[in-house]
Amino acid sequence: MSTDPVARLRVMAAGLGAALYAEERIALPYEQVWAVASDLSGELPYLIPLLREFRVPPGDSDRKTALAVGPLGTRDTFEVRLAPGWCLMQSGLVVGGMAAVREGDGTRFAMLGTTRPFALRPVQRAYTTLLGRRRARAFVRAVEQRARLRPPAD
Amino acid sequence: MADARDAADPQSTPRDKRSTARDAEPTPWAAAVPLVRAARQGDALAMDDLLTRVTPYVTRLCRPIAPADTADAVQEALTAVFKGLRGLRDPQAFYAWVRMVTVREAVRVARGTAVERPADPDELARLGGLPPDGATDLSAEVRDVLSRLPVQYRAVLVLRELEGLDERSAARLLGVAPGTVKSRLHRARSLFRRTWSQ
Repeated sequence: MSTDPVARLRVMAAGLGAALYAEERIALPYEQVWAVASDLSGELPYLIPLLREFRVPPGDSDRKTALAVGPLGTRDTFEVRLAPGWCLMQSGLVVGGMAAVREGDGTRFAMLGTTRPFALRPVQRAYTTLLGRRRARAFVRAVEQRARLRPPAD
Repeated sequence: MADARDAADPQSTPRDKRSTARDAEPTPWAAAVPLVRAARQGDALAMDDLLTRVTPYVTRLCRPIAPADTADAVQEALTAVFKGLRGLRDPQAFYAWVRMVTVREAVRVARGTAVERPADPDELARLGGLPPDGATDLSAEVRDVLSRLPVQYRAVLVLRELEGLDERSAARLLGVAPGTVKSRLHRARSLFRRTWSQ
């Protein structure tokens, strides 16, 4: 037995003390939801405010190095791990993650976001209290909206 | 992904299962030390690797202690392990610490179950000193016996027979006197022997 991806992301969120974490059911098939979540270069700029581009090299490798480009041209390199129902992205400053599992005819979807340096944790805790949950849920809703725009998989 | 992670059980060799001196030996757990250090610093990729490494072991401990709630026990144990990782002073002690946290969480989850159900006989067969699960009728018998074992008996069996801990270590981990461990183990074994001899 192993933990499912969503349960696994929940453990990661606890371990990282993540500022952003949300887990919700999306009333769309898993394939339709994960098609959006796993399309990092195509969809992340729609899902994350202030992200202009997310360049991921082509290929089927489950470990890649991606480049995030901010609105002013600022760049940050991310190590990306991508597998069915599982995505983990980490730069020197930020960690992001998404996970999904089938739940009936819908999908249980989870996201996490956090800063890396522990020195920022007090600021992060304040952010979590004020905005974290709302922002995390907004991300999940954005995934759902983007997924609705995609035709269902055959 | 899940299958590959299951296959990465660092405790899967018989020698490791039965050796009480393994903490001092170079084991796959020694390779986890750099991951523990990195994960404590907030490295999520190291944490991901560590989670892959530790999940099969945590599952193997939880299954016989909390047979009716293994998934919950595993989740609670992993959460407690990774939440407490930053407080772990010595990364070399990671393995023993995971074992302690896991058994504690598995016992807690199992005690919260209103109606206990039998453990999987395959798990029982892995406990030393007990006969292998070769015949179908024995499986049913073993199921019946296990269903009557309280969780504290299962925990003692796991620590003494599966993990190979001595009485003092098992007692410290369970928060009971060494004599209590001894008597619980004796009762559990006697119960099995009595049933099998009938």
